[in-house]
Amino acid sequence: MKGKKKKLTPARIVMWFVLLVFAVIQIFPLIWLLDFSFASNTEMFTRGLLIWPENIRWDNYVTAFVNGHFLLYLKNSLLINILAVILVLMISVMMAFACTRMHWKLSGTVRGLILLGMMIPIHATLLPNYIIYDKLHLTDTIWALLIPYVAFSLPQGLFLTGSFMESIPKEIEEAAVIDGCGIYRVIVVIMIPMLKTSLVTVSIMTFLNNWNEFMMASTYLSSPKWKTLPFSVLEFTGIYASNYSVQFAVMALTAAPMVILYLILNRHITEGVAMGAVKG
Amino acid sequence: MQKAYSNKKIIFTLVFPGLLMFTFAVLAPICLSVYYGFTDFSGLGKFNFIGFKNYQEMMKDKNFWMSLRNSVLLAAGFIVIQHPLAIITAALLDRMGRKAEGFFRCVYFLPNVISVAVIAYLWKFIYNPNFGLLNNIAKLFGFSGKTNWLGTGTAIWSVLIVLIWHGFGWGMLIYYTGIKNIDPVLYEAAAIDGADNKQTFLRITLPLMKPVIEVNVTLAVISALKQMETVYLLTAGGPGNETQFMANYLYKQAFSSFRYGYGNAISVIFVLICILATRLLSKVFPKEA
Repeated sequence: MKGKKKKLTPARIVMWFVLLVFAVIQIFPLIWLLDFSFASNTEMFTRGLLIWPENIRWDNYVTAFVNGHFLLYLKNSLLINILAVILVLMISVMMAFACTRMHWKLSGTVRGLILLGMMIPIHATLLPNYIIYDKLHLTDTIWALLIPYVAFSLPQGLFLTGSFMESIPKEIEEAAVIDGCGIYRVIVVIMIPMLKTSLVTVSIMTFLNNWNEFMMASTYLSSPKWKTLPFSVLEFTGIYASNYSVQFAVMALTAAPMVILYLILNRHITEGVAMGAVKG
Repeated sequence: MQKAYSNKKIIFTLVFPGLLMFTFAVLAPICLSVYYGFTDFSGLGKFNFIGFKNYQEMMKDKNFWMSLRNSVLLAAGFIVIQHPLAIITAALLDRMGRKAEGFFRCVYFLPNVISVAVIAYLWKFIYNPNFGLLNNIAKLFGFSGKTNWLGTGTAIWSVLIVLIWHGFGWGMLIYYTGIKNIDPVLYEAAAIDGADNKQTFLRITLPLMKPVIEVNVTLAVISALKQMETVYLLTAGGPGNETQFMANYLYKQAFSSFRYGYGNAISVIFVLICILATRLLSKVFPKEA
């Protein structure tokens, strides 16, 4: 069946049609967003689904870029997310190794406790964490985001690396340990290279989840210093309440970095998500 | 060698950073929620311990039950509408051949990489009564095009549509991966036996997809319970509390109604419901392996 040249039979035409309809439903709102971001405010109220703008309004984007603190928020998002991914990977591998390879009494308990985190809703911690961070003067610092981002990505990270590690035979590292290789070196030199696929998955899931997060950010941050990309959008709806075209532009602009990254890494991202979700 | 593997110091250094972080950001706050759940704390100043009063009030709180009802509705929407469509799309996509498959998969998943902030405001504009896309489409079909989609009565359905739309690609992708993992030999055998497409789908694809469907349904129910961000920006739970969800409601109680104690009590129940639902679903769908 596979590999054969596919002819355009009526059944295949129906298939194409159905798939195209779903594609249009999924993509058209985004095209509409992009289209309106180039229009002027008056053009928006004309009839018809899409607008053919008389002049392409690049100034919408200039406003979005400058007044939306785009560069600052993008830098914050990148820094916080990359640090979060690195920390999640390190801690997941360390914990997974301790829980699947090392011999200690509480191994199962600790693993179970962290995995319980997969069931706990992030938003249930918003109220108490606000008080804790406020008392410890962590609000408006990078830690107010980094700590919960890492902590809530950890359960999935531990789950994925742990179950992957269990499928790797112990003989290789045991031989290394007998030869006098230390545990830390075993992890770095032997374990990490073998875990490559699951580490890619953990990185993608962590990055995707935290990149779009804004509930914690808007609860724990009030100054622009560490605000992340979604804030460009959130702030504009207040300041430019009646200037819709500028709001469209800021939405398109803040979506752009991730969409571009996705179009480049499309295969890796979809495969990573599929693997992470089916296992998790 | 045994000695190296049970070296307490090494184990401690491996486990401690993660455990500390998890305790600090997840476990401690939940314990604190339990504590504040027994108080009438407003968020500022002094407070009293009031025992189980918050919990008693919650049982009678219409908005709390509305939030739960909305989660159930959303879960039903995922399971009855989104997932069947996602499975069918995935099954069709599986037959398309390389290039078209890659293209459609890419398009379907695209909304998932876009921030919820953008998605929520985009749909707010789509529903806008003055220039919104939906009313413009309605006009093309001869309707007046003046519907207030986020108004009383229609709001919850409008919210469900956004969430079903946004999560479609994610569900589709997982089903697609599941279908790709089915041994093609089975399809060839079915074709030799003269099975048509419908029979193949019902007799081979669906039964073999059972574990994937179970995982996906579990994820859907949990995400319906956890829903917050889209609703927070799209309707803020309104009009009234018609589109309220638990996470949004507890947030509103604490930060807008200054009932921090009550909000925390809802948090505690919220965590319990999520854990209970996960446990229950894993009982309903026991793992064969």
